[in-house]
Amino acid sequence: MSSSRTDADPAAPGREAEEAGGTLVSVEMPKMGISVSEGTIVEWRKQPGDWVEADETIADVTTDKVDVEIPSPSSGRLARIVAAAGDTVDVGTAIAEIDAGARAGEAHPEERANGSAAEAAGSAAAEPASAEQADRSGFYSPVVRRVADKHDVDLSQVEGTGIGGRVRKRDVLAHVENGHPKPAPVLHSESPYRPDEPAAEPVAEPVAGDGGRREPMTAMRRAIARHMVASRQTAAHCTTVVEVDMSRVAARRRQLKAPLAERGVGLTYLAFVARATVEALEEFPILNASVEGEEIVYHDDVNLGIAVALESGLIVPVIPRAQRLSLEGLAASIGELAERARAGKLDPDDVHGGTFTITNPGQFGAVLATPIINQPQVAILDLEAIVKRAVVVEGPEGDSIAIRPMAYLPLSFDHRALDGADAARFMARVKTRLEGWEVL
Amino acid sequence: MSAATEVTYLEAISDGLRQEMRRDPSVLCIGEDIGAFGGAFKVTDGFIEEFGAGRVMDAPLAENAIIGAAVGAAAEGLRPVCEMQFADFISCGFDQLVNVAAKMHYRQGLAVPMVVRLPSGGGFSGGPFHSQNPEAWFLQSPGLKVVAPATAADAKGLLTAAIRDPNPVCYLEHKGLYRYVKGEVPAGEHEVALGEARLAREGGELSVITYGSGVHLALEAAADLDEDIEVLDLRSLCPLDTEAILASARKTGKVLVAHEATQSCGVGAEVAALVAAEAFEDLDGPVRRLTAPDVPIPFSPPLEQAVLPQLDDMKEACRELLAY
Repeated sequence: MSSSRTDADPAAPGREAEEAGGTLVSVEMPKMGISVSEGTIVEWRKQPGDWVEADETIADVTTDKVDVEIPSPSSGRLARIVAAAGDTVDVGTAIAEIDAGARAGEAHPEERANGSAAEAAGSAAAEPASAEQADRSGFYSPVVRRVADKHDVDLSQVEGTGIGGRVRKRDVLAHVENGHPKPAPVLHSESPYRPDEPAAEPVAEPVAGDGGRREPMTAMRRAIARHMVASRQTAAHCTTVVEVDMSRVAARRRQLKAPLAERGVGLTYLAFVARATVEALEEFPILNASVEGEEIVYHDDVNLGIAVALESGLIVPVIPRAQRLSLEGLAASIGELAERARAGKLDPDDVHGGTFTITNPGQFGAVLATPIINQPQVAILDLEAIVKRAVVVEGPEGDSIAIRPMAYLPLSFDHRALDGADAARFMARVKTRLEGWEVL
Repeated sequence: MSAATEVTYLEAISDGLRQEMRRDPSVLCIGEDIGAFGGAFKVTDGFIEEFGAGRVMDAPLAENAIIGAAVGAAAEGLRPVCEMQFADFISCGFDQLVNVAAKMHYRQGLAVPMVVRLPSGGGFSGGPFHSQNPEAWFLQSPGLKVVAPATAADAKGLLTAAIRDPNPVCYLEHKGLYRYVKGEVPAGEHEVALGEARLAREGGELSVITYGSGVHLALEAAADLDEDIEVLDLRSLCPLDTEAILASARKTGKVLVAHEATQSCGVGAEVAALVAAEAFEDLDGPVRRLTAPDVPIPFSPPLEQAVLPQLDDMKEACRELLAY
């Protein structure tokens, strides 16, 4: 083989990089927390041929929970993108290759065939393509596509005899010539009977064509849908509701609000409920648990999930070891997580490992709901709107009617793990704590 | 006039030139050592005896003077045929050719019916000054026509057409083909129209588009591989037979452009761009080039062999595209 020049094989830049002494480093979809199994490429910030520094962001990835920037594992030249923008791939799957042997400023592999004269003359620049391993079965050339379109051929049914299993023009032409393999009609040669034409498949009536539009679900929407349905199919949902007089909580909140605000902490009713819940969970560990097969796993720590409504969905960041936090600590954590959640700045670790969840649709005025459990937890507490109601209160001089800030606290629990009495006792503990909050 | 006879490529050039000089008294030759010596490669052997020193003019070693004189003679109505002893030396006459001859028609409306014969190509250890294939230089100069015959018949037919054409024509005659290529050549007047490619071999799986020495490499490779390869001999590089190129590309869907000249911005690039632009939807593989790398031709025989495309290179390039 002489070094007479042939053009580079454009389909195998990676091979060229190897020839040039480079080392290809695979970029994989990273692990983004234990519960994340796949990620979707949102955008490639680098293109093949671009120089990248180690740890420089090369792509944006979204998961069902968070958005993540993918850093380059090595300095080098982006040799190949494996997963295109929009592709969803499993964690650990290669999404790109970095030529770590490349040098900054050096022609990138696809340019190498047109490299310096010395290089062209000096060594065998026209090695035959030994890239047969590269799978080309999914690549269809312009003429193959055109022939397939013309004859209405499903190219995935055509066997490719070209390099890497590529479907060649001759393959698709042969396929057309041999006729598409269609299911043969049943023939009854001995009987005059002929089968009826198969009835046309019922076609779904198109939804009124006078408006409306379709949009694909976002990755987050799909994940929520999947999780909610899965939870409904997994747990034996049951909801129990207590009504709580929030007078003392409101009074304590009035006392603490200003001093906490000075320290940059916004004190919400939710923080009180969270604190009361954490205390009750320590008393009733069956609610801080998971069902695994036929076992119940009791968790040592209360990792408290706080549902945060986003413009485009819902996310549940987790306060780890919430039992160690005071009311102020919980308030600060809730505020900080909610802010980062809305800014899209949560880390993958912020959203996994929860053992119990509190949701708070009451902030929008809702008074009652039956939330769906966040699997694999066994219960979810819901703080509904705090509304002033006329209630009967018992005093030393007998009953009277008073105006009190009242709230319903529904608790959805998994009847597989616990029963209504457990749930009621737990909620009674929460109610007592909230109604008896110490006021200085 | 009479039956075809088997002659060499070199004899065919000589034959074509002699025919035209006999036919048309305005045709004359000018070059270094072409008279009494008969030319470095003996193309004009015996010409001075037949046509006299007035029509077979020995020139000093001054290509600028040779081409400049020819431009003047052509403008005055004669049909000069210049011989560059080696195509490489054309650089000394470049200005007269690309700035004067090529633009005369556009500037003054004057025809410049002249031919510059360019013995080109390597393969005989001629080194960097006696082995080049400079056709791409002229393709960048509108106003010049460029031809590069591969066969004896075309050597005669294209030279005849070049002499009769009213434009300056660069006639690239490959030195490696002078005595290597033999073929039947029509006796008497024989003209091959400029701008028409020749289907040298018909095939359905791969088009090798080439000219000059590349045609023989391609034919040999196709025969050795025994594959369904089509070989298109361009013959004229300007004007280019775009119809024939596209017809072949559309038929096979795979194109290898091959030439001995260096790669960058060469004929291969032009053909590849044409195919990509006009036959994209018919392509079934990448358009590839087989050329010399962008280096001067080495003197050392093994190095020269490494630089110039060889039969094995052609076969490998064909095999790769066939397998694609």
